[in-house]
Amino acid sequence: MVELTDWELDKFKRQIQIAGFGEEAQRKLKASSALVTRLGGLGGPTALWLAAAGVGRMIVADGGDVTPSNLNRQILMRGDGVGKPRAPQAAETLKRFNPDLEVVAHSANASESNAPEWVSQVDIVCDTSPDFRERLILNAECWRQGKPLIDGGMNAMEAQLTAIVPPHTPCLQCLVPEVPDWWDPKGFGVMGAFSGSLGALTALEAIKVLTGYGQPLLGRLLVYDGEDMSFDTYDIHKRADCPVCGG
Amino acid sequence: MGVYIKLPTPLRRHAEGAKSLEVSAGTVGDALAALCERYPGLRDPLYDGEGKIKSFVRVFVGGKDVAELDGTGTPLSDGDQVSIVPPVAGA
Repeated sequence: MVELTDWELDKFKRQIQIAGFGEEAQRKLKASSALVTRLGGLGGPTALWLAAAGVGRMIVADGGDVTPSNLNRQILMRGDGVGKPRAPQAAETLKRFNPDLEVVAHSANASESNAPEWVSQVDIVCDTSPDFRERLILNAECWRQGKPLIDGGMNAMEAQLTAIVPPHTPCLQCLVPEVPDWWDPKGFGVMGAFSGSLGALTALEAIKVLTGYGQPLLGRLLVYDGEDMSFDTYDIHKRADCPVCGG
Repeated sequence: MGVYIKLPTPLRRHAEGAKSLEVSAGTVGDALAALCERYPGLRDPLYDGEGKIKSFVRVFVGGKDVAELDGTGTPLSDGDQVSIVPPVAGA
């Protein structure tokens, strides 16, 4: 197990202080690596909170360029970065925030061609794509490699989150056996404070799975509403006919 | 008997923006039928061509997936909440 330097012990002392977390969990985070795909209003805060928590290495991936309308929520980007690729800006912001972080940026979205290699290089995947097909590719690859996947998604002021840990939980394909025919990734508004809240919770679930702290959303789906602050959790189950996890 | 149906954001535009509504129903199937009778525009997003609930639409009662109970035949008690939960992928 890696050791924590005096600087790290000082930097992370407030979370090390949490009962049940401690130095051992902090060492696990330092030794761990995460892939965050897409770096928008959800993925950006997810990556930032993972970096803040002390994850040792991160791969960040996004194939897009920053547009003006991204800037109400994509907190890793810069106003003077409009028109430029998201991934390098995200890596630079993360590195500035946590110079100890090792970060690799890919200016591409996850696909069947790159997912096997990217997933093989990390301990956990946080999938924040607006494209169900991209999410399902990562789900299948995570399941094949036995890697946990934290899946968070939102629509306007409603969010969903679950932790997928092969072979113990349902996989994403169990929840999305076919892509909803009425899904429109740009058919709703996004408030940065809300997508950021889901990013924080996505990172928290990843931290819990990586360290063994707390009770992650295993076999449970969190659904919450930012408009009225209602939080519900639902039991979710494998589908017997799931082509990915086999039910 | 009165039960409450909680509608997800993507479907509310088919129900005049309603987030939750009360219907009188003894089973989950009855509740969804009453919902679609009141708001016919919900039929297409909820049901496939064979009249079955679409595979990606989860329906929960008391936090439990009705697929693990008695499906649309799952009985309801007065005051139960029926939650319709399709997947979302926004970011």
